[in-house]
Amino acid sequence: MQNPDLIRQMKEKAEAVQVTVSTIHTMEDAFQYTVDITKKQGGRTVVAAGLKTKEQGSLKNECESSGLRLLEFPLRPHANEIHTSLTIVDGGVAETGTLVLDSTSEDVRIATMLAETHVAVLPASKIKPDTTALENELNAVLKADVPSYTAFITGASRTADIERVLAIGVHGPQELHILIMEENKA
Amino acid sequence: MIKTAQDMKSYKKQLKEALADKFLRSALDNFNTAYRENRPTVYEGVDFEGIKKEIAAGKDSALPHFIEMFEEFKAKAEAAGAKVHTAKDAREANQIIAAIAKDNRVKKIIKAKSMTAEEIFLNDHLEKKGFTVTETDLGEWIIQLRREGPSHMVMPAIHLSRYQVGDLFAEVTSEKQESENIDKLVKVARKQLRPAYLEADMGISGANFAIAESGALGLVTNEGNMRLVTTLPRVHVALVGYDKLIPDLKSMFRILKVLPRNATGQAITSYVTWIKGAVECASSPGSRKEMHIVFLDNGRLALARDPVFSESLRCIRCGACANVCPIYSKVGGHKYGHVYIGAIGLILTLFYHGRENDRAIVRNCINCQACKEVCPVDIDLPHLIKKTHRAVLDQEGRTPVKNFLLAKVMKNRKLFHFILRQSHLAQKPLAGKEPMIRHLPHFFEKEHGFRSLPVIAKTPFRDQWKQLRPQVVQPKYTIGFFAGCAIDFIYPEQARALLKLLKGHRVQVEFPMDQTCCGLPALMAAEEKTAKEVALQNIKAMQPRDYDYILTPCASCGSHLKHNYLKIFDRDPAAPANLEAFMDKIIDFSSFMANVLKISPEEFKGTGEKVAYHAPCHLCRGLQVVEEPRKLIEIAGYEYVQSKDEDVCCGFGGSYSVDFPEISAEILKKKLDNVQDSDARLLVTDCPGCVIQLRGGMDKRGTKIQVRHIAEILAEALK
Ligand code: SF4
Ligand code: SF4
Repeated sequence: MQNPDLIRQMKEKAEAVQVTVSTIHTMEDAFQYTVDITKKQGGRTVVAAGLKTKEQGSLKNECESSGLRLLEFPLRPHANEIHTSLTIVDGGVAETGTLVLDSTSEDVRIATMLAETHVAVLPASKIKPDTTALENELNAVLKADVPSYTAFITGASRTADIERVLAIGVHGPQELHILIMEENKA
Repeated sequence: MIKTAQDMKSYKKQLKEALADKFLRSALDNFNTAYRENRPTVYEGVDFEGIKKEIAAGKDSALPHFIEMFEEFKAKAEAAGAKVHTAKDAREANQIIAAIAKDNRVKKIIKAKSMTAEEIFLNDHLEKKGFTVTETDLGEWIIQLRREGPSHMVMPAIHLSRYQVGDLFAEVTSEKQESENIDKLVKVARKQLRPAYLEADMGISGANFAIAESGALGLVTNEGNMRLVTTLPRVHVALVGYDKLIPDLKSMFRILKVLPRNATGQAITSYVTWIKGAVECASSPGSRKEMHIVFLDNGRLALARDPVFSESLRCIRCGACANVCPIYSKVGGHKYGHVYIGAIGLILTLFYHGRENDRAIVRNCINCQACKEVCPVDIDLPHLIKKTHRAVLDQEGRTPVKNFLLAKVMKNRKLFHFILRQSHLAQKPLAGKEPMIRHLPHFFEKEHGFRSLPVIAKTPFRDQWKQLRPQVVQPKYTIGFFAGCAIDFIYPEQARALLKLLKGHRVQVEFPMDQTCCGLPALMAAEEKTAKEVALQNIKAMQPRDYDYILTPCASCGSHLKHNYLKIFDRDPAAPANLEAFMDKIIDFSSFMANVLKISPEEFKGTGEKVAYHAPCHLCRGLQVVEEPRKLIEIAGYEYVQSKDEDVCCGFGGSYSVDFPEISAEILKKKLDNVQDSDARLLVTDCPGCVIQLRGGMDKRGTKIQVRHIAEILAEALK
């Protein structure tokens, strides 16, 4: 179910925290976007988490034809060279423009924490109005007797520690781009 | 490192230095104003009052169950591979963490921001044991490099200018820095700290929440360093106070609605993270993180059982009580707390760091209630600060001379009033023919000279009462008039103005002669016993059943009578049976005129003169009366002109202005500057205490702006 009001709110709230929000219809669009933004920023590497093997392959082609390198997992050896990371997130919270990302996999964490730019694909159907709507789902993850690392991400990394002046991109990504995937409309 | 004054003399010296720091003063003053101005926008659509009551109730109901919640947490966290420890005090926590480091052959440690780690001076301990510790939160890194403690709980380096940071970074990088450009300074930290994450063997974090039902930690951050600290090194240690335990995720979401808003003005922070158990970690031998959670007691479990102070464990460290505090904004966090800073710091220091570190700072509260108003967990901070002050005095078994005299004199109304009458004679040579004392005798130190002082009236109001008492046939209301010492003995004209206004409204006024000081000055000096005794005398003097209202034109008395009386008799069998009836009858001047008598413009001439208003702390926050006085100014035909920061304290605070004259003077200065920036000819307020301060200050400045009690300007505008 895609609720246009929720999508609109998600977009507005995310933009209010300096996120660039776009709408896409296929994963191909996401790959194109990722490659374009990386080139524009002068980056040389891309990493992607959560793709199917076939998708991974086509992203790799796309990168290579543009002179970019798609980094392979595990990411630790590449920790210092990640420019753009592309992830498919698990949900969104429209009320605050927040992304929900299961980050239990270490590679997902490294990808989203050490990249300069984070591009997140958010399926429109996974946007929830508020945290209350997410409570049961999240609780199920937290209560299970297995380790987990779950992240709410709202905008890029920021600080106001010097003279209370807002500065974006302190330790985490300097830019966050959300691509809202509206299915069935290709 | 942290050098908190342990006696008043060195504290005053430190305060003087702080007041001379121009950058600090303007940075914090601007912050104070900006923070308050931004709040309505930040809270748009959020029921702050409702949520704060819910959070407080939730926290309180969890307090008796810390141990059960801890057990539940531990079982769940351990089922997911974490190791859970308990430490009874700072020493034990430090030892546990150092042992974990040693067992895992750790050399380098990186840290995310944690006030709990500051509380136990963890870095010092680990460094002594030979570990390299690097703070990664930008503000914490800055103060670590400077070897200082935090000056704010959320923004630890708020006391430093970009230039100071730039110089520091130039030293660290051996490269010149463009200090003007804060973005570039931030990038320096990004670049410098990256290698530290990758080289570290162990990461230390705090946690905002420990969720009992799931055994997960909740962390609320902005910079992204905590995520790296908990991801890259092979060992993670989380240090958590028992007070961070909450029953469930729902409770966390509820707090999450207010924590970022209150702390940084955000609806939510960049990152909210839940960590449960030992997650995947490629650099660890078993491919699983070595995950340890250390629960710190350090007095919390005892505090949870304390009937009065347990409330302080609700604190979620949002820092707001410092942001709005007029004193914090003058002297900064290094002088307004020990490790914990702001109003809550004045309280917690006694429990976590001992009375030596609290005995001076705890006295530095003017009781303006600003902190209480913004606290998202509804802690009655000003009240607890006075209670803490009392506890310090009790622990030290000491009665300061001031307290001894105050107790002796206040309890005996006749003696107290005798002394006040004598003061009139004593002051005569100082004032001469002037209406005020403009030059203090030499035995006063010169910092007291920032305002002229009023003279004690020749004839106190109580001696005029016989002639003034109105006789009303068939009164519509009978009121008991509670004058308060300042009006009775300094400004009887304010009471006469009131009587003039009531004429023609069929109000029978009674002035019971046995009324005495309301007791607020005694409470401010932590003399609870005396405060109780005078309260009993007042309730006896003014039986609530005899009146429709007990009216006072003094906002400080009013708020004390209406709210504090219940608190000072809390759980006390000596509480009089009619205590609540008495409190219910209390009303302030403006509410009585506007809401009960409903006075109308027809009674007034209307001069159109421009009037600025000062909202007394005890009226706008204490009694929550906001609109009424402003309405009255307009009803009486004046033009009300707004000035900046109307609801910020004037710096009087009774004996506060005598104990801390330089801070009082600074607060007053800002207030008067703001009024002078408006084009008002009159400055009006609802409290004779504020009149003393404001009029004294204006007189010293030699301006034409007259300072009056609102009753006076209303009476003068009558047709
Ligand atoms: S009551 Fe006022 S002076 Fe005292 S701590 Fe709170 S804000 Fe500061
Ligand atoms: S006492 Fe209240 S206002 Fe102060 S830091 Fe704690 S929660 Fe925030």
